[in-house]
Amino acid sequence: MIDEAKTTILILDDEPIVLKRLGPALEKAGYTVEMFSRSADAFKRVEEATFDIVITDLKMEGLDGMQFLTHVKERWPGTEVIVITGFATMDTAKESFQKGVFNFLAKPFKLGEILETVKKAEKKIRQDSAA
Amino acid sequence: MQSWVNLEQLFKWIYKTLLKRDNRHEGVTFAELFQTFQMILQLNNKILELIADMGSKLGGDYVFDRQYVYSSSRQMGTLVYSLIYNFKTLTPKKYPDLDQVFRDINHEIEEELAGRMVIPRTEYVVPYDIATGDIDDVVGGKNAHLAEIRNRLGLTVPEGFAITTRAFQFFFDHNDFRFRLAETLEAWEDNTISSEQASRTITDMISSGTPAPEFSRAIDKALKQLQRKTDRRRLFLAIRSSAMGEDSEHTFAGQYLSYLNEPQQNLMQCYKGVLASAYSPFAFEYRRQKGITEHEVAMAVACQTMIDAKVSGVLYSLDPMDPAREVIVLSSAWGIGAPIVEGKTAADRFMISREYPHRIQSLDIVRKDRRFVAKDGGGCEFQRVDEEMQTRMSLSENQISELCETALAIERYFKAPQDIEWAYDQQDRLYILQARPLKLGDQMARATCNLATVTSQYPVIFSGKGIIVQTGIATGKVFIVEKDDDLNRFPNGAILVAKETSPRYAKVARKASGIITEVGSATGHMATIAREFRIPTVVNTEVATRLLKAGREITLDAQENVVYDGRVKELCYFGFMEERFEESYEYRLLRRVLKRITPLTLVDPHAKNFTPQACRSFHDITRFIHEKAVEELANINYHRRLRDEKPSRRLKLDIPLDLTIIDIKDGLVENHHSKSLTRDQVLSIPMGAFLNGLCSPGIWSREPMSVDFQSFMSSLTRTFSSNHVNPQYTGQNLAVISKEYANINLRLGYHFNMIDAYISEQINDNYAYFRFLGGVTDSTRRSRRARFIYDILAQCDFSVDLRDDLVVGRIKKLDLTKMKKKVYILGQLVGFTRQLDVMMTNDDQIGKFAEEFSGLIATDELMNGLGR
Repeated sequence: MIDEAKTTILILDDEPIVLKRLGPALEKAGYTVEMFSRSADAFKRVEEATFDIVITDLKMEGLDGMQFLTHVKERWPGTEVIVITGFATMDTAKESFQKGVFNFLAKPFKLGEILETVKKAEKKIRQDSAA
Repeated sequence: MQSWVNLEQLFKWIYKTLLKRDNRHEGVTFAELFQTFQMILQLNNKILELIADMGSKLGGDYVFDRQYVYSSSRQMGTLVYSLIYNFKTLTPKKYPDLDQVFRDINHEIEEELAGRMVIPRTEYVVPYDIATGDIDDVVGGKNAHLAEIRNRLGLTVPEGFAITTRAFQFFFDHNDFRFRLAETLEAWEDNTISSEQASRTITDMISSGTPAPEFSRAIDKALKQLQRKTDRRRLFLAIRSSAMGEDSEHTFAGQYLSYLNEPQQNLMQCYKGVLASAYSPFAFEYRRQKGITEHEVAMAVACQTMIDAKVSGVLYSLDPMDPAREVIVLSSAWGIGAPIVEGKTAADRFMISREYPHRIQSLDIVRKDRRFVAKDGGGCEFQRVDEEMQTRMSLSENQISELCETALAIERYFKAPQDIEWAYDQQDRLYILQARPLKLGDQMARATCNLATVTSQYPVIFSGKGIIVQTGIATGKVFIVEKDDDLNRFPNGAILVAKETSPRYAKVARKASGIITEVGSATGHMATIAREFRIPTVVNTEVATRLLKAGREITLDAQENVVYDGRVKELCYFGFMEERFEESYEYRLLRRVLKRITPLTLVDPHAKNFTPQACRSFHDITRFIHEKAVEELANINYHRRLRDEKPSRRLKLDIPLDLTIIDIKDGLVENHHSKSLTRDQVLSIPMGAFLNGLCSPGIWSREPMSVDFQSFMSSLTRTFSSNHVNPQYTGQNLAVISKEYANINLRLGYHFNMIDAYISEQINDNYAYFRFLGGVTDSTRRSRRARFIYDILAQCDFSVDLRDDLVVGRIKKLDLTKMKKKVYILGQLVGFTRQLDVMMTNDDQIGKFAEEFSGLIATDELMNGLGR
């Protein structure tokens, strides 16, 4: 029962704790959320469906978030990508801006911060589609 | 790990090379040593900030991952190592033990990070009256919960003690079981042997073990204490498992062994039985399914006096089959409750409203023809119940109300519906035997779907106002507290609404489901209490008493910071459904790591144990080095021969302040050889501005306050605060200056001030850094004073950080005149706040003193012009 009006979000992070905490918080705020801890599964999923917003880590064990977000932006240019990453990878995060990433947040972040960023991304999507 | 070892080697190498230079001590200039000192100060600040930063991650508001725990812990290690390294160049060969202390602490942290749990070197046995919830890694989940219920919520639990996880490890070490255990587990993990085979091998091994003499002695001592407490010569005990993680994220319900009514001489045998049950085939499989690694297995044991139960049973604070009905489910029967839990006996069943006054909605009184009772010599048996008792209701209405109120208090505290085992003894006293979160599963998921749509249907009274102190969700009726008397009438489960925050609300902390105030800060005493009791709390909302009417039912969402009119059921369920952040591995890991970083045991620099060997945490090391570095620098020219002799001199001021000045370059009038100095001989720009502020009219003139009794007491009892400063200690007041620079370390009254400033014609180089911490009075007054300083600094355009009572203000890149003015104000502020905390008896005074201070500044400006 997917509510058409709801904004859809895909989260990819190999740390279960991030999914566990982000997922419920975003659901509570009224979003439809799908979560993945393996990039292969996330790759597969974006082949099948489009998401309004993708939230991804950059540096994960055995997979590359940069590849994933590049792929998402190519396949679905309208999807806004938010990068969440530890301070060690902030330089790469800055690079990701060139790939059209909407914003990035350094881990650890507050739940309020990510909600705000998601709201801004949502607003941009609405403006873009109106234009 | 690898990179860390290399880093350590690198430091060693640098240190060795530098030591050589240090031996030719005459070649070191003061300026070089001072640079080292400044480095120490910088590192000290960074470490304190990182400690506060890591601590704040436990508050629940942040999303952090394992990587954060790793990287911040290692960053901490590197900072502390650099601190020690710099300190040693300042004090060569003076404190050789620091290295070992650092290595020991760092090793423990690395072990934790590598997933090898370090059991704290605690006692083998911890009595309930001194156990706390946050030592669940020591006493296990069940004991920790019971201790919280007893010590925090003030409810009655059986007297007893916990046999710790350390005893568990020691039992294996003492009997040399480690190798065989590892071997067996490996074979099981490789599927070479079955769970049953593995279980049999380990069980046999455990039953062949003997307790070490020191362990037996600890048990004997605990039993004797228990005899005294209960006034009984022969004890009969309930001995139950209390494994780590049991009763919280993983229930293991009923899978470990329990013994009831065992005579005390059987304790050791039962203990081994409980340990062995950690390796039952079921336990193996359960852990495999849940992803709990075998190295996380550590069994603590609960040892409680047997309660002579008249009636006992089980209570679910919410019906797991139908949560939406909002009822409490209660079963009870005569005698001891074990057969009820196991479903082996008939029990009365009650469905009761969760809402006060807890009306019984349905009841089912069954024939209870037998009861489980304790036998005289030990063990339990079924007995026949008298005919007329068989069909009688096993609980009175008063008892049912008492049980419901108690259960909801426990639920509020643990923030989840509870599964509670309870008993009334022959004197009708209620005992809580066990409490654990109730698993609700899918039922809840259905109740919470489309939460955002649902909440949008409820009218919002106000939102986004004030500061969240403790997250969570609360529903209840508004109860407005205007005066202390009101607290005596506070109803269970109500939401406390008040104008101001007050530590006196601690009185109703067990009853309140939420707190909303109009003023107040996130660092006050009440905030600490709210976090301690995990009461969803929002302060500084400005509108609370105006918009919230007494008796009105509201829902406080202290996550989104919204107050709804009415009872938003779905939100409550959502709160229950959410995985409790405190139960995540990352949270536990960070907390365990912080135990080696944060606690401050070295508080009194005059104490005998103010030594490197006594350091137990990185915070201790940092504190020790800071104290000794200031001392070292102040005395440096007495026991060091430096190439460029820089005599320290006493500064003579009109105010009673003992200040030593060391001039690095051009900070004082030239060719001045006398030992003492006057203010007009100071040429240093920032030092001059600071002293002018400090000595400006009206600032210092206030009488020293006599410390009132409460303040005095709290100065004696504050042993664990990070900012403790002993009033008897009069440390060195020291300023190191040059023409453009001043670094001033002052201990005035009862607290530390540090000012570090550079002022020149080069706007881009200019900065001033101000740090304030410590105090002798209770935390409320200290935080008021910190708040006052925060407000003043913010008014004067400093960027300010406030963490408890550590205030850090920074300002930079202003022109010379403006910078002088800022440092002048710092001088005034330091003088003015000298003993302010002693006077700050209520929140209003923050404003009052701020006004007084602003008045003084304004008058001073009028009379003397800017900063001079």
